[in-house]
Amino acid sequence: MTAQEISVRPKQEVVEEQTRAGRAYQPDVDIYETKDSLWLKADMPGVDEKSVQVRLDDGVLTIEGSVALDDYQNVSPVYSEYRVGNYRRRFTVSNHIDGERIQGKMVNGVLHLELPKAEKAKPRQIAISAE
Amino acid sequence: MTIRFGSPFTSPFDRLLSLQRELDRAFENPGWDFGLSGRGVFPAVNVFQDSEGYLLRAEVPGVPPDKLNLETHGRTLTIAGERDSNGAGAEGAGYHRREREVGKFSRSFTLPSSLDVENAKADYKHGVLTVRIPLKAAAKPRQIEVKAA
Repeated sequence: MTAQEISVRPKQEVVEEQTRAGRAYQPDVDIYETKDSLWLKADMPGVDEKSVQVRLDDGVLTIEGSVALDDYQNVSPVYSEYRVGNYRRRFTVSNHIDGERIQGKMVNGVLHLELPKAEKAKPRQIAISAE
Repeated sequence: MTIRFGSPFTSPFDRLLSLQRELDRAFENPGWDFGLSGRGVFPAVNVFQDSEGYLLRAEVPGVPPDKLNLETHGRTLTIAGERDSNGAGAEGAGYHRREREVGKFSRSFTLPSSLDVENAKADYKHGVLTVRIPLKAAAKPRQIEVKAA
C-alpha cells in the first residue's frame, strides 16, 4: 500500500468585497470537537501571531490573517504556481461556545484555536438512583 | 517597464495588489521549465529573481524544519517532507471538517545551469519555505565599462 500523498489544490478566493485592496483566500481548516471544546486549525502560511485576528460576534466566528510582504521586497516574480494573499473565513458557531475563554496561537503558519464550550453545554451525566 | 511594488509610487495598501498582479503575469509562465516535475505536485512553488540569483518559495504550513528534507544533486533540488495534523483529532474527537491534508510529499526541480545549486540555502518562516539559489559566478551580470574614445 503506497503512503498517502498530499495533492495541490488551488486556493479558494473570498467572494465578498474587502475594504483592503488585494484578493483574500479562505484558509483550509480542520474543525473537531471534544467533550470540553471545539477546536479549529487553519492553514495561513505567511501570517505571524501579530497579524492574525479572531472575532466572535453574534454566533459568527471570523478568522483573518494578513500575510507579511517584507520578503517580497526587491524580488521579481518569474514563475508562479500559487496565489499569495490575505486569509479570511467565517463560521457560524452555536452559542454553546464561551467567547471569553477562546484561546489561540500561531505555529509555523497554522492558527490553532480552542473554543471552550460554555459550562451548560457540556454533556451532563444524569445520575439515576434506584427507587 | 514593470512597476515594482516597492517603488515610491505605491502606497502600503497597494503593495499586496501589486504583488498579486505581478504573480498573475508570472502564473504558470510557459517560459519556465522545471524538467520532469510539473505542476500539480505538492508543494506548489513561486520562483523569484533578485540580484543574487533565484528564490524558490513554497507554502508548507505546519511542517517544522526537522520534518523537511531538502537535497541537491547536480542541477536538481528535491523538497520532501511529511505533514501531520498538528494535533488535530485528539482521542475521542469528532470531526466537523477535515480539509488540511496530511501525508508525505516529495518534489524535484531541475534548475537552470546558470544556478549554483550546490550553494542553495533555505529558511522556513511562518510556514513558508524559501530556498535561495545563487547564480554561478560566471553567470552573474558583469558591468562593461565604457571608455571615452
